[in-house]
Amino acid sequence: METESKNQIKSYLTFRLGNEEFAAHVSKVLNILEMTPITKVPKAPVYLKGVINLRGAVLPVIDARLKFGMPEAEYTNNTCIIVLDIDVDGESVHVGAIVDSVQAVLEIDNSQIMPLPTLGSRYKSEFIIGMAKIDERFIIILNMDAVFSIDEITEIVDIDQIHEEESKNEQ
Amino acid sequence: MDSFKKKFIEEAGELIDKLEVALLALEKNPGDAELIQQVFRVMHTLKGNSAMFGFDLIDKFTHDLETIYDKIRTGQIPISSDILNVTLACVDHLKLMLDEANYDDPDFKTIHNGLMDKINRLINPVEVGSQKNREQAKSDTSGPLSTYYILFEPNENIFNNGTNPLYLLDELCSLGEYKVFSHFNRVPDIIQINPQSCYTYWEILLATDKDVSAIHDVFIFVETDSKIEVQKLSDQNLLIDRAFVEEISHLAEVQKDVGLVNVQRMASKVVARINKAKAEQFTRERMAIKDKSTSSIRVSSDKLDLLMNLVSELVTTQARLSLFTEQSNVSGLVPIAENVQKLTRQLRDIAFSIVLIPIENLFGRFQRLVRDLSAELHKDVDFIVEGADTELDKTIIENLLDPLMHIIRNSMDHGIEDSRVRMANGKPAKGKIVLKAFYSGANVIIRVADDGAGIDPEVIYEKAVAKGLIPPEKKLSQKEILDLIFLPGFSTAKKITDVSGRGVGMDVVKRKIADIRGEVEVDSVVGQGTIITIRLPLTLSIIDGLLVSIDNAPFVVPLSSIDKIYAIDKESIYNTYNNLVTLDGTKIPFFSLRKEFNLKPSDEELEQIVVVNFEDNRVGLVVDHVIGEYQAVLKPLGKHYKNHDVFSGATILGDGTVALVMDTNKIIKMFAGIKGVK
Repeated sequence: METESKNQIKSYLTFRLGNEEFAAHVSKVLNILEMTPITKVPKAPVYLKGVINLRGAVLPVIDARLKFGMPEAEYTNNTCIIVLDIDVDGESVHVGAIVDSVQAVLEIDNSQIMPLPTLGSRYKSEFIIGMAKIDERFIIILNMDAVFSIDEITEIVDIDQIHEEESKNEQ
Repeated sequence: MDSFKKKFIEEAGELIDKLEVALLALEKNPGDAELIQQVFRVMHTLKGNSAMFGFDLIDKFTHDLETIYDKIRTGQIPISSDILNVTLACVDHLKLMLDEANYDDPDFKTIHNGLMDKINRLINPVEVGSQKNREQAKSDTSGPLSTYYILFEPNENIFNNGTNPLYLLDELCSLGEYKVFSHFNRVPDIIQINPQSCYTYWEILLATDKDVSAIHDVFIFVETDSKIEVQKLSDQNLLIDRAFVEEISHLAEVQKDVGLVNVQRMASKVVARINKAKAEQFTRERMAIKDKSTSSIRVSSDKLDLLMNLVSELVTTQARLSLFTEQSNVSGLVPIAENVQKLTRQLRDIAFSIVLIPIENLFGRFQRLVRDLSAELHKDVDFIVEGADTELDKTIIENLLDPLMHIIRNSMDHGIEDSRVRMANGKPAKGKIVLKAFYSGANVIIRVADDGAGIDPEVIYEKAVAKGLIPPEKKLSQKEILDLIFLPGFSTAKKITDVSGRGVGMDVVKRKIADIRGEVEVDSVVGQGTIITIRLPLTLSIIDGLLVSIDNAPFVVPLSSIDKIYAIDKESIYNTYNNLVTLDGTKIPFFSLRKEFNLKPSDEELEQIVVVNFEDNRVGLVVDHVIGEYQAVLKPLGKHYKNHDVFSGATILGDGTVALVMDTNKIIKMFAGIKGVK
């Protein structure tokens, strides 16, 4: 019953990192928080910014920019923490993701979601569900379970592709 | 539907545990009808439930098992060790079935069919064996003897019929245990005596499993002209009661004859006494099982976790309220805040006590383990459990199973000697293992003590040298030598047996216990035995800690590991190359946490050094400030930090900020570059 209704919902939360717009299925989003002080955990990977107090529970927080291989940016008034409920080996794990800003909740029909072009894409396909074109903007729909999994070495950007792009630019 | 099935499996697991306890009690006390009833009832419930939820295989299996106990209950077949062995094997099999084993697996099928065969054989004994079984059944069920009073006054002319009354007495006495009182008071003076007459008569107490008619059969030829009285005194063997026999003998000497009335009066007294003693023993035996029926309700552990979280949150909020009350000067707020504080503390204590469960269930499993191992190793062992009502956090109890199992196996396999060796060393043939749990301050101590061969330090030392674990010629104290058994790659078993010495050694035990913040110690005297002591915290979710700050960030150091705190000036820390500092006249190694956490050095002149115990050494950790003692509600850092175990968790302070809780052992190991013990 539950899974059925989840699949029927076509709402996606869109957020921004730099110039790119991403979308996450609303069933993965628990909460959106304003930026709060984060307790750093020494000796942890850089993208793991630390932990915060979420109503009495300790929530690990990940900087989405760093996780996505983008340069770090100053936090602004628009910076938000999206509290996500992700699935790790069948177990539900809560994690916070720091994003530049939260945009809107959009209805995206399955028919609007296109597969990524297989060639020349900056992103590794296992992290992306697809792309949607809404009001002349391209929105990348993320597989949140994969992106924020506990695996330490996931970088969603395909490094080889960037090198290729860079070498093209140089030419 | 699935949630019902889950509930069934959970409940069935409990029923099976109950069944196992009852069976083991029954083994000790085979005559106890109440225990047989209990076994039957549990099986019946299990059968009903499994049929209801569609576990047909379990339903069929328990149905047949139940049939056996129905027959025992109604006295059709006797309880025997054979039946108990099969039933216990079935209990194991049921556990497997509940774990949703692969029913099509050939191994599973073999076991299943083998057990079904055994069960069927127990229900319908095969022809050849049946005669014997039935006979055994008869003598067993009518097992308790009855005591009869018999008066035999032969006719004076009995000799004329060619009957010798002494032969009759012989025959009578062959029926069972006896006590004969001969009476000669009717023998006349020597002048009047007729040598052809019988003047003697007898009173006999007979304890036999035969019934009255068998006794009458003895006198069948003299019945008509002799006086025969047969009276049942009791359904028990009264002759085992020495006081009773003495009293009657005394009476027989003093009086001319004892008389039925007197015997009956005395017998009733004895019966009352015996029954009372039996009843007492029964209650003692059954206490353990009956105690369980204290009123309780089932609550899912998820709800308990939620309750704990809410209470922790409340504790945190309350701390904020107290802080706020102190700062603002609103009259009337102080008493309210204090009241909230009091209530919160009570609520917290109760909530924490709810998640504590008695260690009893865990200990029950070891009863079974020892029983099976005794049979396998042919060693007779008394397994004594003390303090089974000691309560511990359920997570701790779950994690104790493997280490304790290993320790007890070791005791059975290596500790307790063969009964021949034991006798030769002047010890009782039966070995003894005592498993004991008790509170000690904020800790629970679990102790496994055996009276076996003990650990020979010389053997340990030589072995450690031979394995290259310690350099030769190194001097070690007795205790240090014994501690060597906790080193990885150490196993003194000469040959690998099925029971212990399978490569996992005491190092695994130590690590698993360290995982639940416990410690393990060994103490042993050669020839007298070994004692393994495990020290555990009461709960994993609350720790006493010292709140410190490093670069304005709060951290908690567990109080249990702290030795002493010193103030120290910055110079002596940063201008050193060997990382040693002199405190109280001794040089101890130290680590600056600012440096190790990659932070810039502090501006302040004075810093604090917290000296903690690390294995057998003292190590200093330099922090900016010591804030004070703090009772921390420990919260997990989450899966994303699972590879980052130098912090055992985090706690939320009164002002809502998060403080990390250090695991000092792991932190020091990391700084010192000691790779994780493998």
